[in-house]
Amino acid sequence: MREDIRRIQELMEREGYVTDRAVATSVYLATTLGKPLLVEGHPGVGKTDIAKVLAKVLDGDLIRLQCYEGLDANTALYEWNYPKQLLHIKLDERSERPLGEREADIFSEGFLLKRPLLQAITHRGRPPVLLIDEVDRADEEFEAFLLEVLSDFQVSIPEVGTVRAEQRPAVVLTSNRSRDLSDALRRRCLYLWIDYPTLEKELRIVRGRVPGLSEKLARELTTFMQSLRRLKLQKTPGVAESLDWAAALVSLHASELDAALVEETLGCFLKDEADLRAVSAKLAQGELAALSSPLA
Amino acid sequence: MTAAPLPDDLVLHTARFCRLLRGRGLLTTPADTLQAAQVLGLVDVLDRDDFRLALRSVLVHRVEDIGAFEEAFFAFFTNPVAGPQAWLRRNPPLRPKQQRTPLSLERWMRSEGEEAVRQEALVPAPSTLESLRTPDFRTFTDEALREVTAVARRIARRLALRPSRRWEPARQGERPHLRRTLRLSVKTGGELSELAYRRRRVRRTRLVVLADVSGSMDLYARLFLQFLFALQHSFARVETFLFATRLSRVTEELESRGYSEALEELAAEVRDWSGGTRIGECVTAFLAGFGRLLDRNTVFIILSDGCETGDSAGLGEALEAVHRRAAKLVWLNPLLGSPDYQPLTQGMVAALPHLDVFAPAHDLASLAQLGAHLAV
Repeated sequence: MREDIRRIQELMEREGYVTDRAVATSVYLATTLGKPLLVEGHPGVGKTDIAKVLAKVLDGDLIRLQCYEGLDANTALYEWNYPKQLLHIKLDERSERPLGEREADIFSEGFLLKRPLLQAITHRGRPPVLLIDEVDRADEEFEAFLLEVLSDFQVSIPEVGTVRAEQRPAVVLTSNRSRDLSDALRRRCLYLWIDYPTLEKELRIVRGRVPGLSEKLARELTTFMQSLRRLKLQKTPGVAESLDWAAALVSLHASELDAALVEETLGCFLKDEADLRAVSAKLAQGELAALSSPLA
Repeated sequence: MTAAPLPDDLVLHTARFCRLLRGRGLLTTPADTLQAAQVLGLVDVLDRDDFRLALRSVLVHRVEDIGAFEEAFFAFFTNPVAGPQAWLRRNPPLRPKQQRTPLSLERWMRSEGEEAVRQEALVPAPSTLESLRTPDFRTFTDEALREVTAVARRIARRLALRPSRRWEPARQGERPHLRRTLRLSVKTGGELSELAYRRRRVRRTRLVVLADVSGSMDLYARLFLQFLFALQHSFARVETFLFATRLSRVTEELESRGYSEALEELAAEVRDWSGGTRIGECVTAFLAGFGRLLDRNTVFIILSDGCETGDSAGLGEALEAVHRRAAKLVWLNPLLGSPDYQPLTQGMVAALPHLDVFAPAHDLASLAQLGAHLAV
């Protein structure tokens, strides 16, 4: 393995992100090539965390753009602070200064509300990490706009002129696949698919993130979660749910899993009523042993 | 970055590998090939996993392609290793799209279990008989119902929130409403003390759906009904009609809470289930009785195979009238899903000149694509 990739992996692990070679290689290539990294995977497998950890590893700021339906260029890029402008005009009413000067005033940077994309472009200091979270939730029009920004890292603001990024931010996009992204966007990015973790990886994650958890309980819990993912559930629990559950068990001072305990804490990792009923039924039939006993 | 010069044959091999991927249906562009050659300088090419993972992050753009990539990599760079095999075991290889799509349909056919129904569905043979048979919808599996619901929900979400180019005054808006702000300032003697706001109007699309439930459409109508039920439950502005030889409005029936209840009510409502088809008459009846539902924000959808047993000239006229009044006229023909189908039936020929969209609707994948057509 190339030294750089190993180092990235080490650095990410040191920041508490349990990772593997596929992740480390993609992150390394994305940062080295200066390309955006598109991360896809099931909910709760740690897509967003990649950006957070990357910011720590690169020692840069994290700038986050949360996408949602109806997100438009204004909210993502910049807006003029109208109330402040109006106020300023009012205050400046009796000034003798020439009109052009006053106009330049109210269209200066002080009146610009920088939204995440512009923040990332104009950021000073170490290059930031720009996280474009759940890009699948925004619509196609926004995706096209995003493509434009991501390819040049420059925007033109009519009143100010063209703003160009002095240093390209590292960009991480995440998607839950609620909508298929365009091929154009996919091509522009390096691609990383994060699957549900293997038993060993999940065990390492749980142990690393929930310190008070006993070895035995950690193993029981991860085995249970792994087999839960094999069931056909409406909302398959991710690693985030494992961590929630582990934290809950720690605060309950539990030492081992039993049917009653699982039943009481089902809500930590099952977020759908039908799933709750299905798993409760399985528990009542005494299938817990099959679910949580370590696999041969 | 310091990219060491790569051996020529490695670059050549990579280029050939990219071509192989293209042959296997991946969207590998020449730009990707260039990029692949570029990343090879950045990793340890002698380390097989490094090499594979680096190529994968550049050449694969969607998870569905990972299986094909691993397979191709394994076949092309022949040394057997555990990695790709393990990956393939966990994630069985990619099913190409053509093979994937009819799956759900097949399941319905199988659950139906009678050859007659299959015949009926595949060979469109119009019957003039107004059959009074009670349909049994309950042959669907829960899983199929879930899939359809998910697709419908996705489409509904897109439809519900389409910002228009127009603005409207709002208490909390994204932009100041300058004219109104000035007007407000009059009462304070020209002092701008209160800001009025405006925001984008939300464009509300309405769907009017006429689904053909005649004999030749039996199988597909069930799929589509399920879809309509889910759509109506996640998106309020849907009006649903069923027709064969007569038109009946079933919006209210589909409104009931459970799918099975809705079906019971429907079965009671639609007496001419699986009879012949008089599309023209039914569309005319719709115009006469419910024409007010059509406006520039309405998408009118007909689901039918176009096997008209009535007057096809009447169909053309009725559709022309619909086309004039609705924002869009969409015809979904499940037969279009089969590659050698040609819209040659009299009904279809009469209808074609008036359609905005003529699309297949024989399986979930084609329903999912429907979303793109439904925007006004």
